[in-house]
Amino acid sequence: MSAKVYTTLVIGAGFTGLGTAIKLREAGIEDLVILERADRVGGTWRDATYPGAACDIPSQLYSFSFAKNPGWSRTYSPSAEIHAHITELAERFDLVKDIRFNTEVTKMRFDKREARWEVSAGRRTFHARTVVVASGPLSDASLPKIRGIDDFEGARILSARWDNDYDFAGKSVAVIGTGASAVQIIPELVKVAGSVKVFQRTPGWVMPRVDLVTPEAVKQVFERLPIAQQAARTALFVAHEAAATGLVWNTPITSVIQQAGKLHIRMTVKDKWLRRQLTPDFRAGCKRMLMSSDYYPALQAENCKLITWPIAKITPRGLQTCDALQHEVDAIVFATGYDVHLDGPPYPITGLDGQVLGEEWSGHPQAYKSASAHGYPNLFFTCGPNSGPGHNSLLVYVQGQIDYAVAGIRTIVEQDLRWLDVKKDVQDAYNASIQRRLRSTTWMSGCSSWYLTADGFNASMYPGFATQYLRQMQDFRIRDYEVASNAAVRLWNIPRDLAAV
Amino acid sequence: MAMDMDEMLQKIKDRQWALADIDWDAPGVETISEDFKPKLKAFMADLCWIENVGARGFAAMAKKAPTPTIAEIYRYFHAEEQRHANAELALMKRWGMLEGDEIPEPSVNIRMAIEWLDTYADDMPLSVLGTVIPMLEVALDGALLKFLLEEVHDPVCHQVFEKINNDESRHIAVDFEVLDLIGHARARKLAIDFVSNVASPGLIIGALMYVPLLNRMRNNLVEMGLEPEKLYAAMNRFEKLGRRGEFTHRVPLFQVLRVHSKMVVNSEHPYHLLANSMVKLSEYYPKALFRPIPTWFKELTYEPVTTGVKKGMNAA
Repeated sequence: MSAKVYTTLVIGAGFTGLGTAIKLREAGIEDLVILERADRVGGTWRDATYPGAACDIPSQLYSFSFAKNPGWSRTYSPSAEIHAHITELAERFDLVKDIRFNTEVTKMRFDKREARWEVSAGRRTFHARTVVVASGPLSDASLPKIRGIDDFEGARILSARWDNDYDFAGKSVAVIGTGASAVQIIPELVKVAGSVKVFQRTPGWVMPRVDLVTPEAVKQVFERLPIAQQAARTALFVAHEAAATGLVWNTPITSVIQQAGKLHIRMTVKDKWLRRQLTPDFRAGCKRMLMSSDYYPALQAENCKLITWPIAKITPRGLQTCDALQHEVDAIVFATGYDVHLDGPPYPITGLDGQVLGEEWSGHPQAYKSASAHGYPNLFFTCGPNSGPGHNSLLVYVQGQIDYAVAGIRTIVEQDLRWLDVKKDVQDAYNASIQRRLRSTTWMSGCSSWYLTADGFNASMYPGFATQYLRQMQDFRIRDYEVASNAAVRLWNIPRDLAAV
Repeated sequence: MAMDMDEMLQKIKDRQWALADIDWDAPGVETISEDFKPKLKAFMADLCWIENVGARGFAAMAKKAPTPTIAEIYRYFHAEEQRHANAELALMKRWGMLEGDEIPEPSVNIRMAIEWLDTYADDMPLSVLGTVIPMLEVALDGALLKFLLEEVHDPVCHQVFEKINNDESRHIAVDFEVLDLIGHARARKLAIDFVSNVASPGLIIGALMYVPLLNRMRNNLVEMGLEPEKLYAAMNRFEKLGRRGEFTHRVPLFQVLRVHSKMVVNSEHPYHLLANSMVKLSEYYPKALFRPIPTWFKELTYEPVTTGVKKGMNAA
């Protein structure tokens, strides 16, 4: 009996994977399977359960335009509500039946002869003509490499894998890191813990976050008049697009944004030295912008202290800083972010001629329009190289990536192609242009961030407006691809692996 | 050969130590005579605050560092100077010089240095900070610490200063390497940098602060029985180390400090009339004019281990 060959296999049942499945169905591609390593849908938002977890882009924009949620409770909805929305999407679009839970992809290989992907997940193997990688860039997290970390006898808690059973009440807590999750966690910890010491390496630009409860009347209007919700979404989109002029490109507007950040510090932080400690010395936008109105007040609470001395090591009972002090704590919260896979998914992907993606992408990952990589046919990436926004909603970009993948898959199905493989010269020209355009961006203005590889190569961000990105993603051009046709195989009876034209 | 700064940073990370590594109750306290204590207390207090002032200097330099690695090294040096100050405070506590939670009062010249640092340091170019800091480090390392080790026979003090000296030798090595780097700049840039800064209120006030601060330390040492030659030998080392660098001599402020140190080491030089008058004058500086002590100055502590959060003086 021959194995089932799906038309499309989607890896990941988070926002992106489910969105892909919805759009594939809409395009008439019903024969799909979604592999999910966990036992529930939700991706990053299923795992982000730390106190204060919420999106830092307004919820109206942090959702798909084709599956809006009129009922967002706040401007910036909390993690649980986002997760509930994703779960609701899976149910509303009847996607659960296509999801294989507890199925973690371990490797995948393109079978040139059969023109299909062979995807291994433990002992199981799936076959599919096309694959969409929707496992997300922020799905893995691990403890940072700090001297002595294994010696610590207290609780070690990762922000991305929160231990909800640990009771922080009255405890002495150290928080390492002051990034996007830390600015959300710290104000919540300060409310319950006995003491909170925040260990900062580099301060980020923090902008106030106006987080309002959505009035019932507004929800009703959005429910009954989808056009009103779309108008609100468009207004937010345009406002965020405007911010690109200062956050994406290094311009005088960037300086204006920095002044706003400094004013935020000036108005909320009393002590001059603390203000100095909290003032970043890199261009706004170079690292991810942080959104919080309660972070600075929390740092100044009686039971909280910001420590900027470098950490010498972690000891069995706490941390030792380079000013020679040992800080005894009950728990250490590692708000150190995610393992960003700039060199591709964490499982090996073997391409058309036996090449391995991780090796090719090691150092300088490259793809065409962030979605296709030469030598890996019929494979579509979401959140691929140079696809990240610095100023707008990730989901807006993801929606563009989904549209692109669906267009490619439709082409393969409708034209009965064995494969589509992006041309090397097209991919190279695209990347040369991207790298040229990146030079004038804030990301390349001299700070070190997770956007860049160790040698300073930017393989993560898209240098432009979201509008530009969406326009390129809506333009799927078959001429950019080498095409292998089933018709050619049948007509001329040529060997299948030579069928590329 | 140019120093490998990445290697140096790794070495710095590998050589960290803590107050808790030292047995502060070990025998040896009895070696400090009661007669010597008041003088030693004043000396240690100044030393400890000067380390703290040096720490603030490195914090300013971290913002001007020519490379991210050097910025990171300065970030460590900032903490290490603070560590030295904490260790010196812990020695004072061990010797019974501090009552309860007492933290010694900074002298008027130290208060002036604090005010200067808080107001001007962050705006000073690297060529200024990168020249003044090595001078202070050499003077401290060469004279003050050596003096202490000769006069004080407490083994814990020797243990502490061995660690401090090891740190300081790395600081001095990096300081002079960076000074040489600064000297590598175009002569035109060095000249413009110098002229524009000499004319700045920051550097003029800085000099007015620096001259009496240095002479007060010198006078205190001489009063305590240190042969001034030892201080002079230390200050001459500034010139010697600077001469080793290929480009250091091109830094105008290095030349100014070199000439200045020659005046300082010559006790017959009329310079001392001026400097000592400034020390005296500074005693009359109205304390009410001082702004509140910045919070970075209140971070010193002699406690090796801290739990919970304390804010304000003697915080940890």
